[in-house]
Amino acid sequence: MKRVRILMAIAAAAMAAGLYLTLTSPTDRLQGEFTRIVNIHAPSMWVAFLAFGVTAFASILWLVRKTNRWDRIAEASVETGVLFTATGLFTGMVWGQAVWGRAWDWADPRMASTAVMFFVYIGYLALRRATPDPVMRARRSAILGAIAVVQVPLVYFSVNLFRSLHQTQSIRPDGASMPDAMVIALLVNFIAFTLLYVALTAARVEVAKTEESRAAETVPAGDAVATPLLSEVEDV
Amino acid sequence: MSHRRFVYLGIGGVIAIVLALTFTGLNDSLTYYLYPSEAVDQRADFPDGERFRLAGIVVPGTVVEGEGSTAFDVTDGGADIPVVLNGPQPSLFAEEVPLLLEGAWSGDTFEADAALIRHDENYEVPEEGGAYPEG
Repeated sequence: MKRVRILMAIAAAAMAAGLYLTLTSPTDRLQGEFTRIVNIHAPSMWVAFLAFGVTAFASILWLVRKTNRWDRIAEASVETGVLFTATGLFTGMVWGQAVWGRAWDWADPRMASTAVMFFVYIGYLALRRATPDPVMRARRSAILGAIAVVQVPLVYFSVNLFRSLHQTQSIRPDGASMPDAMVIALLVNFIAFTLLYVALTAARVEVAKTEESRAAETVPAGDAVATPLLSEVEDV
Repeated sequence: MSHRRFVYLGIGGVIAIVLALTFTGLNDSLTYYLYPSEAVDQRADFPDGERFRLAGIVVPGTVVEGEGSTAFDVTDGGADIPVVLNGPQPSLFAEEVPLLLEGAWSGDTFEADAALIRHDENYEVPEEGGAYPEG
């Protein structure tokens, strides 16, 4: 757990730096103060993509190696991925209501595809709950984890493939369509959220390890008691 | 049916519903929205009253506020279309702001009942005395 504490401390420091920049960076002339939400919204979604990518990687490694470690990482990464997708969706809706004038539009390809991705990964967690046998659970999760990641590029490029209400990318390989001060605030938050993801996922993996070792030690009551044989009992 | 099968059906069902919503939403008017030049070109495809979404920038100097409605022109640099918005202005409404309007043709005017601000990928810091840029 010591490693997790160190990761959490580093993440906390980075998040504090990110928060400072979020609150002090310049704002867009149209959106005003609502611009600041992008520093939580975009990093959240980036981390969700990263998390689901890690899950796909771990899922494939489990299918190849069949060691528990990869199953734990895959599952933990889905949990954090779903959490950050939720914060991304929530901040997006707050921003949308304020700037667009509408919190949600199913006709928009970015929103629709992100919602599907969110529900599919919640389905991953439900699937795990529904599968008591650990090996079958790991196998089914790994297959879903490896396949579901295809949604990540679909969600990311949805705004480029289709006309959308959601904006296209402001930071691109050929440059940014926002002033440097805003780019810096956004990038620092990307790094901070990534560190937070690493810390939270590592913590969740530790919890999973503890659960597994507890389960291995526990003998169900029924197995501890053997059926008495009448021939061995005296004075019946 | 087993719990597992229920979960699979649930996931599949959700994907099906949302994909259906996405593609019927997009097919609403072949595309999510039309720019003014396209709307004018495709005028014959959209008779009066047939709903679609129009995306354009508010032309400065054309805004006329009425009671419960606002009239203005939108443009994409190609065509200008007069719009009547029957409903509240979105809170960030101003000249030169890009809008997404929902409504239909009524003669040469676009009658809209809803308007959204369509913020694009450009973020700009206001100059001194900052208002939305001119020109």
